[in-house]
Amino acid sequence: MDVRSTLRKLSIMLKTYPFNPTWCPGCGNFAIWASLKQGIADTKYPKEKFALFYDVGCSGDMADFNQYYGFHTLHGRALPTAVGAKLANHELKVIVIIGDGGCYGEGGTHFLNLMRGNHDVTLLVHDNHRYSLTTGQMSPTTEKGTKTKSTPEGSIEEALNPIAIAISNHATFIAREFAPDIPRLTQRITQAINHTGFSIIDILQPCPIFNPKQSHEWYRQMLVKLEDENHKPNSREDAWKQSVRIDKLPIGLFFQETKPAYHEQVSELKEGPLVNKSIETIDIGNLIKNFR
Amino acid sequence: MDRDSLNWKVAGYAGEGIMTTGLLFSKTASRHGWYIFDYPEYPSLIRGGHNTYQVHAGKNHIHSQKIALNLLVALNRDALEFHRDELDENSLIIYDQEDDNIDIEKYNLPGKSANLPMIRLASEVGGERVMGNNVALGASIFALGLDLGILDQVIADVFAGKKEIINLNQKAAKAGYDYIQKSGVRPLIGVEPLKPTADLAPMTGNEAIALGALAGGLQFYVAYPMTPSSSILHFLAETARMTKIVVKHAEDEISAANMALGASFAGVRSMVATSGGGFCYMVEALGESGVSELPLVIVESMRPGPALGMPTWTAQSDLKFLINASHDEFPRFIFAPGDAQEAFELSKKALVLAETYQVPVILLSDKYLSESRYSLKLPETVFKNNRFGFENNPKPDTNSFYPRYRLTETGVSERSVPGQSGGIHITTSYEHDEYGFTAEDTNARKSQVEKRFKKIESMKQEIPSQFWEEEPQAKLTFISFGSTKGPIRQAREELKRQRVATNMLNLSWLWPFPKDQVKKSVESSKSAVVVEGNYQGQLASLITQETGIVVKNRLNRYDGRPFYPEEIVNYVKNLSI
Repeated sequence: MDVRSTLRKLSIMLKTYPFNPTWCPGCGNFAIWASLKQGIADTKYPKEKFALFYDVGCSGDMADFNQYYGFHTLHGRALPTAVGAKLANHELKVIVIIGDGGCYGEGGTHFLNLMRGNHDVTLLVHDNHRYSLTTGQMSPTTEKGTKTKSTPEGSIEEALNPIAIAISNHATFIAREFAPDIPRLTQRITQAINHTGFSIIDILQPCPIFNPKQSHEWYRQMLVKLEDENHKPNSREDAWKQSVRIDKLPIGLFFQETKPAYHEQVSELKEGPLVNKSIETIDIGNLIKNFR
Repeated sequence: MDRDSLNWKVAGYAGEGIMTTGLLFSKTASRHGWYIFDYPEYPSLIRGGHNTYQVHAGKNHIHSQKIALNLLVALNRDALEFHRDELDENSLIIYDQEDDNIDIEKYNLPGKSANLPMIRLASEVGGERVMGNNVALGASIFALGLDLGILDQVIADVFAGKKEIINLNQKAAKAGYDYIQKSGVRPLIGVEPLKPTADLAPMTGNEAIALGALAGGLQFYVAYPMTPSSSILHFLAETARMTKIVVKHAEDEISAANMALGASFAGVRSMVATSGGGFCYMVEALGESGVSELPLVIVESMRPGPALGMPTWTAQSDLKFLINASHDEFPRFIFAPGDAQEAFELSKKALVLAETYQVPVILLSDKYLSESRYSLKLPETVFKNNRFGFENNPKPDTNSFYPRYRLTETGVSERSVPGQSGGIHITTSYEHDEYGFTAEDTNARKSQVEKRFKKIESMKQEIPSQFWEEEPQAKLTFISFGSTKGPIRQAREELKRQRVATNMLNLSWLWPFPKDQVKKSVESSKSAVVVEGNYQGQLASLITQETGIVVKNRLNRYDGRPFYPEEIVNYVKNLSI
């Protein structure tokens, strides 16, 4: 055995798997991470039947800190990758870990189009209103006028409203939560996983390094719980009104409805997951006939 | 007109059913027991513009379209205007004098012309304007000495379930047949009908690709429509109810490629198809397939570019892009089938090799191959598939993760899929260690790059014999790739008649590059010529890059049209060798 491979073996032995988080102290990702793991456990679904799709960003770095089947995808593409896996094996519970940049910016078209299909995936958007892994540029949810590294004179665009979009665009489970409230977020994640169809939780997440203004204190003043506002999650119209409020930032379940998920409407999947379909013997005789 | 083949063309406005008319003629010729090659030309719009469809049929193998027409069906004035050069004194032109008040003398066309009131006859049998095409078909059947009963049967099969349409189309064909017979046109002496062979099926390259993929165990097909690849999507979607595969029309090509990777990660065989522009969007996913070692088959059907280019025309100008597409390096296969038969076989093989080596495989087609029909012969229709590279009973390492990217002798490491207990790992587009965890240390990086490239040696062993034909005392060797195979084969038949001996090598396997076979072929004769559908000579320069040999004779076409056998013959005759 050469020195190099001995060293390699040694380093693996000393490494702790999965890795320890590399997030900054005070990062909202810690709380989401804790809620996710507990939220998954609370479904009582076998651990190996979860598949997590990580986007690129601080949130996506969670791939290295978890112990589930995972796929660390390209930037903005975690959602279509997840949908592909779900169509291949709809017995899997499929979760997407993504940031506001990946979900609403780079992968915006996937967000818009895949929610319409009611694909049975759970979308956890770590929304800190910044591109933090690339050191703090504006993101699609950054408030207009905000000075960042890429917008030193203040951002010109209005902030994207993911909740209002999801309500208007046929998502079937739409919630917003605040990362540091771990028990509440945990329960919401379990609920979203158990929802059959497209579920999104836009998770408000403090980033003390690159977005100090939207601090814990700022959130405490802005947040209001939907249940305290007598909101019932069964009307898109009421949900939409809550979603466009500017006086307060409502958290909780905006809307939920039961509709068949995408895979439940694919007739070819009625007999079971695609991954179980045998390809051992393929007869194309009937298809060839039509060409003559 | 020789007794071995016939060349028929219909021309008119796009949107007037010319594609269906051409298909009916192809099938009719095929059911006479003949080989066919058919070739449509159409503009990128739904109505108007000039649309043509030609069928070259004969009792021996037909490899491509050709210029000289035996029969032209002209559905409008443009059709009389644009195809003069394809006619000679033996050609017959069928046109509708009444419909467009045509003065045929004014066109001064060689050959004979016959007026056929297509629109009037169609309406007399109770059909709409578009059924005039069937009147023309019936007249063509008579003029070429074919069997109207066979056309009737083809109409019945193509429009199966639509009784009224079948009836009207058959009546219209009969009216055309009778009219042209009574008008005194004598049948051109054509090919004698052979005994129809049941296993000869006219099929486009795209249909062959789709069927080959199904035979190779395709389970998940996802695409965004783009000419000339879209008919793969249409065929697989249409037949999904029978094949039970899942077909998804994604919101864009980026989504398509990433969905395919997600499905591949979950353990199913996946494929996408697009053209050059859509492939540009997929390139990052191609790299992801490379680093994450997930099988992925991408069909790229070329059209002239760059950017939007000429959507409905043909080109072979993406070769060097495909070989180098993506940042950084990883092993890949690139195939370029030369005809429908090879399209079927290589599409099937693409799925198998993608899974075996856990690499991306690109199947390169072009508009010419994708949308032309060839006579495909499949000796059997039942195919067996094995699975490769899956760990059926994954066990975690001491650190409780499965070493998905374990370093192995061959470079291929067995994968586990979500749902399997004991197989938990990370599949990743980042550089990683054996478990899929992000790694940036030099050791992990080097060992994983080397792991991926270890596959190359066995991938090279997979290279099959390329299409090679030789003649004694040949002074010239043709070298080409993909669909140019057909026109060269067709040209060589004419050259043989003229006693010009040549060799030909057509590459259907472009990467890893079949270096030795190319070297041998270039050295087989005094002179060689690279025939390819691009400006710069991409194959020629690839040959130089891989073998050091400079082939100085080039025949290039980059006007969106395929090569014609006649131009290849002329080129050779003008070449001083």
